[in-house]
Amino acid sequence: MSELLEIDDLRVHFDTLEGPIEALHSVSFSVKEGQIMGVVGESGCGKSVTSLVTIGLATCDVDEGSIKFEGEELIQKTPEKTQKILSILKYSSSFFTIGLILSIFWTFLAPIQGLQASAIMLTCFSICFISARILDAPRSRHEKFMRSIRGNKISMIFQEPMTALNPLYTVEKQVAEVLKQHDRLDDAEINNAIKFGKSIISPAEMLFRLLRNDWKGVLPLITFFLFILILHQTNNASFALGLIANKYVVMIIAAAFVWLGFSTMFVERNEGARSLIKQNTMEAEGITLAIVFVGFVRMVDDFTRDKYALIVVSWLVISILLWIPFGVLMTIIFSVAILAVPPIQISNYFNLDPAHTRQVVRILKEVRIPNPEAVVKMYPHELSGGMRQRVMIAMMMACEPKLLIADEPTTALDVTIQAQILNLMKDLRDREGTAILMITHDLGVIAETCDAVTVMYAGSVVETGSLEQVLGSPRMPYTIGLLHSIPRIKEVGEERVNLPIIPGQVPDPNEKFYGCRFHPRCPFADDLCRTKPPQMQEIAPGHYAACHHTELTDNLVMAQEAFSSEEFLQSGVNVQ
Amino acid sequence: MSEEVPEVVNNGPTEELGPLIKIRNARKWFPIKAGMFSPVTAHVRAVDGVDLEIKRGETVGIVGESGCGKTTLGRLVMGLIPRTEGSIEFDGIDISNMKRKELRRRLQIVFQDPGGSMNPRMSVRSIIAEPLIVNGLADGAELTKKVSQLLTIVGLKPNHMNRFPHEFSGGQKQRIALARALSLDPEFILLDEPTSALDVSVQAQVLNLLDSIQKERGLTFIFITHSLNVVNHISDRVAVMYLGKIVEIAETDELFANPAHPYTHALLSAIPQPSLEENQKQRIVLSGDVPSPANPPSGCSFHTRCPIAVEGKCDVDEPELEAIIGGHKVACHFPVEAGGSLPMLND
Repeated sequence: MSELLEIDDLRVHFDTLEGPIEALHSVSFSVKEGQIMGVVGESGCGKSVTSLVTIGLATCDVDEGSIKFEGEELIQKTPEKTQKILSILKYSSSFFTIGLILSIFWTFLAPIQGLQASAIMLTCFSICFISARILDAPRSRHEKFMRSIRGNKISMIFQEPMTALNPLYTVEKQVAEVLKQHDRLDDAEINNAIKFGKSIISPAEMLFRLLRNDWKGVLPLITFFLFILILHQTNNASFALGLIANKYVVMIIAAAFVWLGFSTMFVERNEGARSLIKQNTMEAEGITLAIVFVGFVRMVDDFTRDKYALIVVSWLVISILLWIPFGVLMTIIFSVAILAVPPIQISNYFNLDPAHTRQVVRILKEVRIPNPEAVVKMYPHELSGGMRQRVMIAMMMACEPKLLIADEPTTALDVTIQAQILNLMKDLRDREGTAILMITHDLGVIAETCDAVTVMYAGSVVETGSLEQVLGSPRMPYTIGLLHSIPRIKEVGEERVNLPIIPGQVPDPNEKFYGCRFHPRCPFADDLCRTKPPQMQEIAPGHYAACHHTELTDNLVMAQEAFSSEEFLQSGVNVQ
Repeated sequence: MSEEVPEVVNNGPTEELGPLIKIRNARKWFPIKAGMFSPVTAHVRAVDGVDLEIKRGETVGIVGESGCGKTTLGRLVMGLIPRTEGSIEFDGIDISNMKRKELRRRLQIVFQDPGGSMNPRMSVRSIIAEPLIVNGLADGAELTKKVSQLLTIVGLKPNHMNRFPHEFSGGQKQRIALARALSLDPEFILLDEPTSALDVSVQAQVLNLLDSIQKERGLTFIFITHSLNVVNHISDRVAVMYLGKIVEIAETDELFANPAHPYTHALLSAIPQPSLEENQKQRIVLSGDVPSPANPPSGCSFHTRCPIAVEGKCDVDEPELEAIIGGHKVACHFPVEAGGSLPMLND
């Protein structure tokens, strides 16, 4: 197996108001073809930053290091000098733009001088703009290259499928978008001319469909418009106005409103009232009152069972009350309706081709989504968490990537759904040979799915090796402590004992630090650890650990005991 | 620690004085409204008939997937939401008959997200002191002394008192939340996923702290979590919930050694264990998702995903929670025998 992804000595920082914060220091590991590599560590240790830098979505600045994917460099650094020149050019071009606008205004006062000034400003602006484009060309070329790679050869699954999917588009559109971006869509079935023609008649078709599917639902709206139309056409508008001025009518309308409001309110509280009586929490008079109350509620409940009648009545009441300002309202309604027509036409023109829908269904079938024909028409909020994550995986697998980065893919899911998703990802690897970079904080997930493990702590890789090496014989004290502090299912009759802990917490990244970053929490720390950062040492073939005292961690049981020793825990109290 | 800390030594669950909390057929149905003018169309049956007794000094773990009603059950016990039906008694008194202040003094809660349950504008001192002031238990120098004591108990330093919540890490915030819950010296604390937002190394610290506090003060805990490893470590008894009902309840050792309900079986085998040997065993992968609690399946609510469901029985009759051995109760028509295993199910 050859190396697919090689990350070598990556060092990045974030620019903040309090100065630069180094998020990653010397991260290096590699992923082989068809391998599932697990990256594990606690929150804030740089797992996600590493993955985001890899696909070029991170907002940090890369100081050093390289990321090679199939031998091609993914990081492109602009030299500092060029960056400075670029920023100067950016500022001067905006300066000349303002100058240009001012000189155009000047032209109205003094045509000749104004035109001369405009010409000068325009020339300066063009020079700045064009030279900036030329200087920036390598970066924009690289950005284009990254776009062709992202989602195509390397794709990423995010932790929260709900935030990664767009809530405004159906599943089919979102999956097809990835395919369209990378020119992988099947040939369209329907001609563009036919599509255009269909979109022209689409609003009428929409109305027709609405009436046919749910005429009862549209009934109130129709009643409302008919009422207005009849009043206008029969010249009874003034009569209706006179009616409204009549105080009895006003009283009737008010009563109707009170009835409407109360009935809906009571019916909803109905359940609550019944349960109150059952709990016997009310006083004796209260119960009598409540029984009367419930009886009344039952009556209203039966009366409002046919809700369409209720809705029609309510619309009529509203329309009578709105009669006076209605001239204006009518105009607004019609303008809104007319404004809504073009978007309907356009969206219908861009409707997905049946051939493309079939392609998306095929992709969804691959990730074993039940009933994919229905799912493609759904919006993300209609799907459960596991289904959303499956759609996300389908989207990311649509272009058959070589490398899939999964950033905590199952953290937001339940255990039984997690088992389904992990099985699916392993299947995909076996079938398609996709390498997976599995980022998680759950060592259980790592143990179940991965072939190799990289342990990260506070922005650097502290141990890497095959699954058996890292989980079976960990050598870095952090890995030992982490594995040891997970509660295990205990044997029958086993006494409950205190969990072994790592005292303290992950150090703050904006603190100055010398030596090994783990030393305040480590039982083996000595002066060497406090002054000199450890280098990665090869312990066994392919097994590396960054620790000065790997000889002390040779015996796993002894190393675990060191974490629970009394003197170490005493010193650990000071760390907190 | 000072001498004012009550010298109660907890020797595990005790049955003298009767159970501390007694839940009888508790139901909570949330109404669903179809529109502005329409009446209630359906109900989300978040908790649908739960019977549970909690002994004094015991830790009961409640496990289940999201949406199974474990948090709603906890809130019912705390009296944070009114129940639709059933009775919940605390120390022999129905909680709806207890005065609000008394209820809050005797029952306390620690929420899942420690950052979200604290006012970011209040210092740690005022966060912990607020319950004491509201109940008029301390003021002035005594208050400060009490707050610093509480901070010491949860493993923080008294000089952390004047800091604000954002200056602490997740584990430390959870310690502050615990100090606040302990401030009124309650008899019962509801722990609603107290460690699921924390990293494993910090989770271990918080779990150890909970254990030692329970031993010192003789507290009773309900521990709500979705992590079976944690529940195995901390609780004396475990209740497994599915779609608003308890499907299995037993002593921790018994439940983990001989799970009787197929759902418990699947749940236990679905947890990935961080060791090499454990993952060699066959895994039961359930197909499909948890059904909607607004429209639960007929009969046994688990029959849609159950590998051993029998047509004509499981989809018609609803199983009752019945004891099989001692305190081991299970709601299943065909409970798995001790040491038995489930057939594999391919989705």
